[in-house]
Order: sequence, then C-alpha cells, then structure tokens
Amino acid sequence: MNTHEVMKQKISVYFDGETTPAEKKEVEEHLKACISCQNQLEAFKKISFSLESWHDADPSPDLDQKLAKIKNPEESKMKTKKTKWNHRAAAAVLAGLAAVVVFRHLGDRALEEPKPPAPITREVSVTEKAIAPAAAPSEVKPDRLFFAAEALKKSEPSAYQNFSVRREALLEFSFQAKEEEVFNTENYASIQESGFQEVLKHPLSTFSIDVDTASYSNVRRFLNQDQMPPKDAVRIEEMINYFTYDYPAPQGEEPFSITAEMSACPWNKEHELLLVGLRGKEFSKESLPESNLVFLIDVSGSMDEPGKLPLLQKAFQTMIQQLDQKQRVAIVTYAGASGLVLDSTPGTEKETLRGAIQDLTPGGATAGAEGIRLAYEIAQKHFISGGSNRVILATDGDFNVGVSSEGELVRLVEEKRASGVFLTVLGFGTGNYQDSKMEKLADKGNGNYFYIDSLSEARKVLVEELGSTLFTIAKDVKIQVEFNPGKVKAYRLVGYENRMLAAEDFNDDKKDAGEMGAGHTVTALYELVSADSKETFGKIDDLTYQESKIKASGDVATVKLRYKEPEGAESRLLAKTLTQEQAAQNPSGNLLWASAAAEFGMLLRGSEFKGSASYREVLNRSQTAKGQDPSGHRAEFIELVQKAQKLDISPSEGIQFKGSAE
Amino acid sequence: MGIDSNDEELMLEYQRGNEEALEMLFLRYKKKIFNFAYRILANRADAEDVTSDIFLTLFSQKDRYQPEAKFSTWLYTMARNASLTKIRNKKNLFSLSFLGLGQEGKEESWDPPDSKPGPVQTLSRNEMGTHVRRAIHRLPRAQKEALILRAYEEMSYEEIRKILNCSLENVKVLIFRARKRLRKELAWVIQEECA
Repeated sequence: MNTHEVMKQKISVYFDGETTPAEKKEVEEHLKACISCQNQLEAFKKISFSLESWHDADPSPDLDQKLAKIKNPEESKMKTKKTKWNHRAAAAVLAGLAAVVVFRHLGDRALEEPKPPAPITREVSVTEKAIAPAAAPSEVKPDRLFFAAEALKKSEPSAYQNFSVRREALLEFSFQAKEEEVFNTENYASIQESGFQEVLKHPLSTFSIDVDTASYSNVRRFLNQDQMPPKDAVRIEEMINYFTYDYPAPQGEEPFSITAEMSACPWNKEHELLLVGLRGKEFSKESLPESNLVFLIDVSGSMDEPGKLPLLQKAFQTMIQQLDQKQRVAIVTYAGASGLVLDSTPGTEKETLRGAIQDLTPGGATAGAEGIRLAYEIAQKHFISGGSNRVILATDGDFNVGVSSEGELVRLVEEKRASGVFLTVLGFGTGNYQDSKMEKLADKGNGNYFYIDSLSEARKVLVEELGSTLFTIAKDVKIQVEFNPGKVKAYRLVGYENRMLAAEDFNDDKKDAGEMGAGHTVTALYELVSADSKETFGKIDDLTYQESKIKASGDVATVKLRYKEPEGAESRLLAKTLTQEQAAQNPSGNLLWASAAAEFGMLLRGSEFKGSASYREVLNRSQTAKGQDPSGHRAEFIELVQKAQKLDISPSEGIQFKGSAE
Repeated sequence: MGIDSNDEELMLEYQRGNEEALEMLFLRYKKKIFNFAYRILANRADAEDVTSDIFLTLFSQKDRYQPEAKFSTWLYTMARNASLTKIRNKKNLFSLSFLGLGQEGKEESWDPPDSKPGPVQTLSRNEMGTHVRRAIHRLPRAQKEALILRAYEEMSYEEIRKILNCSLENVKVLIFRARKRLRKELAWVIQEECA
C-alpha cells in the first residue's frame, strides 16, 4: 500500500473517530493541503448518509411466535403443529385470493365470465380440497374467502382472528382494485404468437431486428407492484434483448458479428433450440461520433406524477453528467403550447443544461405532434453530417391535442425519418400508459424505445448503454434464416411477432426495419423440430404436381443478414452457416440465459408452446448462466422470476398449495 | 432492576432466575439482531431463524455468558457465528436472496405504512435504499460484516474486533476497503461526479 493509501485509510478511521490524538493531528494537517483526501472524506460522509436509506426492517409476526414459544415451551409444544399448519393454510388462501383479485382487475386473462361458485364443501377444517378451487381463477368469487374463513373459525379460533383482520384488508383491496379497473386505460396491442412452420413449405424465416427493451421494464413494473403483467405487455424478444450477451466482437470492416448456436430445447425435450446472435461494433469513448440531441419533453398535466416528470428530470440529469464537448443538447417541451426551452448547447455546459431541466414544470394538455415537429426542426437546424442526430422523446404517450390519431402521428414521424434524424422514445409512468402508440412511433421513426420505470433503468439506458442508445451503427437490419429440410422439419421463431417480414422484403431496400446501436447485442431464438421427428404440422396437403428435391448437406441453416450504413441507401449482405456438427452438447451461457428469458416470457404470456416450462426451470438455468453480472440486471431478473412464481395462479404453475401447507 | 438497568445487569439478573429481565433483553435486541442478520444474510426467513436461535441459546444456556464480557458483543458474536453457519449450510442450495428488494412495504403487509413523505423524496430515498442494499450485498463477506457492525450497529472498532475475532488493524482495513468499494459502486447514487 502506498503512502497515500495509508493516509486514506487513516481518514476512514478518522471519520469513525477512532484515531489516536497523534493520528488525528496528522490527518487534519494533511487534509488542509490535500484536495483528493478532502474529497475522500466528503465521499465517506455521503456514503454514510446514503447507507441510512437502508432502513431497519420489522421482523414478521412469525418471529414473535417463535420467541413466544421459547419463553413458554410447554404451552406452545402442544399447539405448534396445528397452528402452524392452519396459519399457513390461511395465508395460502389469502395469497391465492389476492392474486385472483389482481387477475380479475387486469381483465386480460380472465376472458371468460366468472362462473357461479361451485357448491361449497361441507368440511369443517380447511383442507386442501377446500382451498383448491382458489387455484382456478375463473371460478373464484370473493365470497369464497368468507367460507374459508368460517371453516377456519371453527377449527382454529386463534388463526381465524389473525385471518379475519387480513380479510378485511383484502376486501378493501379488492374494492380498490375494482375501482381502478374503470380508470386503467393502459393500452397494449394484442400479440398473436406465431406457430410452427414446416420447412418444406416455408424454408425461409424473415424478420426485422428489435432492440427495444421497454416490454421487460414494463413487466418488471407490474411484478414489483405484485401484479401479473397483461399478456400483451409481454414481448418475448424484448425480454431476451434486455440483456447483453457475450458474443465475439466484430472483426474488420463489418459492423456486426453473427453467432449461431444450437442445443436441446429446455421446455420441449423433443425439440431443439437455435440461437442467432448479433453484436454491433463498439466505439471507444474517444471515437464516439459527434452528436446533436434534442430532448423533447412532455410537460403536460398528466406528467405531474412522481414516476413521470420528476423521474424524467433525474434521468436526464444523470445522463448529462456523461456528456462532453462532442455532444450538443437542445430542449423542447410540449404541453398546451410547444416551446424551445434551450437551444442547442454543448454537453460541457452542464450547469445550463441542468438548470433548464430542473425548471421544467408540468401543466396543460398534450400537443404531441406540434412538439415533434418543432423538435425535428431544431434537430435539422443543427444537423451534424456523419454524426448522430436524434430526437429523444420522453412522455407517457398520452397525446390528445392537435394531431391525435395514432395514424397521423405515425405518418408525421415517418415523414421526418427521411431527414436522417433518428428517434428515441422513453416511456414513463403508469395508469394511462400508451405502450402500443410509443412502440409504433419508435419503430416508424428509425428509433428505439425504452420504458423507464426507475432511476436504475434510466441509468441502464442513458449511462451504461448510452453508446448503443444514441449511436446507430446500422439501420434497416433484417435477418433471414433458411432451414435445410434434410435436417429440420419445422421451426418456430420465438417472439418477434410484430417484426415479421415477408420473404421478399428481405432484398427490398425500401422496406424499413430495425436499427442497431453501437455495442448492442440482438438475439433471436428458433424452436426446431428435427427432420426425423414423427410430429406432423401439415395443415396444407402435400403438393400433387411438384416434388421438392432436398440437396444433401450437413447444414442445419444459413443465417443471412442485411443492413444499411446509418446514412446509406443500399443494403449489404452478411451470411453464416450452422452445420450439424456445430450443434453443442453443452449450451453456452448465452444460450442458457436467452432461453431462460424466453421461457419466463412464455410463462408470463401463458404461451401455448410453453411445453414443460416452469419457473423452477427458469430459476435453475438463470442461476447457472448468471455469470459476472456487474450491473446486477441478471440478479434482478432472478428476483422477478421468484416474484412471478408467487403471483402466477395459472393452473399448472404458481402457488403450490400442497407445499406451502406442510 | 428496571428500565435503566444496563444489559449486563439484566443478564446477571436473569442468570439469577428473573424471567422479566430476559423479557427486557428480548425487547431490546429482537429487532437489532434480526436486522443485523437480515443485512448479512439478505434473506428474511434465515434472519428470523438466526434471531430465534440466538434467543433460544440465551434462554437455554444462560450460564454461557461471562459477566466480564459486554453483553451486546457477546450476543452479536453469537449472531454472527450463527449467520456464518447458515451461509455455509446453504452454500450449495439456491439462496432466495433479496426477494423484497426495494418493495418492502408491499411484500410485508404487516408493516404499518410510515407517514408519507413527498412523492419525489419517496422515490429517490426508496431507490437509494435498494441500491445501497445491492451494493452492500456484493461486498466480500468480511468487509460486509465489519461495515454493517460499524454503520448500522454503531459499534466501536474494539467491539467489532472482538465480534469478528480479528486484529484491530484488520478492522480498519476491512472498513476502509468496504467504503472504498461502496464509493465506487454508489458513485452515481450519491451524485459524486468523479470517484
């Protein structure tokens, strides 16, 4: 340890008031002269203050019960077993019901009308039989809770008391949920999952890449509020692409590397899983291109909520810290009237930028279109040729003045796309969240779309991955996979439902597709049925007049990729072939993690293809594949899976009443 | 014996057979020991196990306490050792880790809601708590223990030395390293421009 480190350690001791008088004097003398050490002391103070934000937790009533048993071992010994069991049973009923209420409130899943309650079992004690109906959501009515409670009252009065208090809380909750139902106007476009395609009839699978991650953070928001997300809020490809994968960096001139890998399909033993991975080239901090950014900030009345404008301000403050003289920022707001708050300013003038963001105040209705027009105008005025020109739209998406129809807005953005200005959409807030509108905007505006639910998500998008958020290295990136019918009988692309293209679109340079940011990774999974499988998919009869000849080849598939340079008009082609020999016995961490994310998405969607998928499997695999995880995103994923496992009450999953009642 | 009695007096009182003294010690330390274990283990159920185990030891083996030792040091030493055993036993099992990260109030419905601060404050404070937890959770074990004892239990270096059974110099190094690492990990949370 060098002398400076020794001093810094002494400062830590000094901060704790544990120095000897001589050391104290030494430290204080040193501090007078050394700015670095003054900062160190300042940082220790700040850390110490921040540690206070981790408050003491209250122990649960369980602990009190345990302690009571210690004090009165005789009395509790007789009761222990029974009480415990019933207490847990009651908790299980409650948990089940709470989930049901949420479920009903979401409405998306409970498509059927609730059936009248089944005849009540006459058993006096709460047994598994009595609890079991709670697992079938469509049959449960809140009254059921009442009967369960009555049964409990007879068998175990003390547990009942505990139970009845919570029941009231729960009923109140269910009432609130009902009320909310009326006002919840969140909007999701429905997703039709694509099924298996027979290779002989459809050898080509074509889609546009999707680098958005909004769906994942939105799903997280629901789970953190102890609700299952609506089915259509779950876009599986975004679940997969939320994470960065460890693909090889591109070599030479090409802006991409392509990875193909195949292994057994975890949720269906008969099938295999093919991973197609792209990784974009990265810029070092010095070689980042110049950029011209326009923040377009929604300050309408609907943004006046803690999760919206205040979070947005914090998010942008964090981002500004990263900027330097190569980046310029302008700020445009829109509400009743749109206005230019700050004209294009270099990233080094942090105080000016910070002040402008700090002074934003909400009020008025939203005129999104006018704001978008003005923002593009400013972006074009300061256009940097060869640089990154981008409008960053931050909103809850509730446009309702001016051009309000979705179609018109989309057309406006499409029209602006030709100008070479890209669009990033940052979604904020809950309750009135217009997911489908924003995804479409970003998609049409040559852009990307993120949902910011917390400061840490803001950090991921605007700090950790700023490069890939701001710098597009390729546009209109399309992937086409050709399968070899000699090896593969059928395939299913997991997710990407909104991104499917027709086979002929692949070579059509006029067809818009997804953009790729610097250092970004994109992953797609195919579930494959091998050629020697007995499974049949034939909805169409075999052709009578044609016979397809299969070329003998050891290839499984060829992955082709088309992209354009950010300002280019003509596309370029890359290709990679995967042979049978390359199929891995042991899947890589990439494949393990991507398949875990996909499986989680399928469970949340209640996918018809989920096969043997289970939360436990997802947990096992993600635990294995977690790796270094410096940012903590993967650890968070695992937490979310555990949450969903508790909340999900679909028949094959979720709360295991048997297990929890032991 | 009364409310002003110090821990050591209460413990001696209890060794003489006064159950009320034990009750008072329970009251004084229940939440503290639980939170200490919770911070070390990052798992509520385990922390509750450890807490009840500690009090069971206190109850069933009261004579193990030596009057010359400081009561809190003795109790925390036991809690620390019990936590280590817990970690060791669970090492091969899949740990449930922090299910309730950042969402405590919701997950644990028995917590009465605190008085509500302004919306902006709630957000940043809650979020900060979450990040602090994660950062501490990622510290190496020894650093984590030393820091938690210092920051949350407000122990002196001397007490920490006894509980961790190491040298004073070691305590200094552990706490310093923990802070250095937190400074790096939490730089953006504490809004430090250059760490």
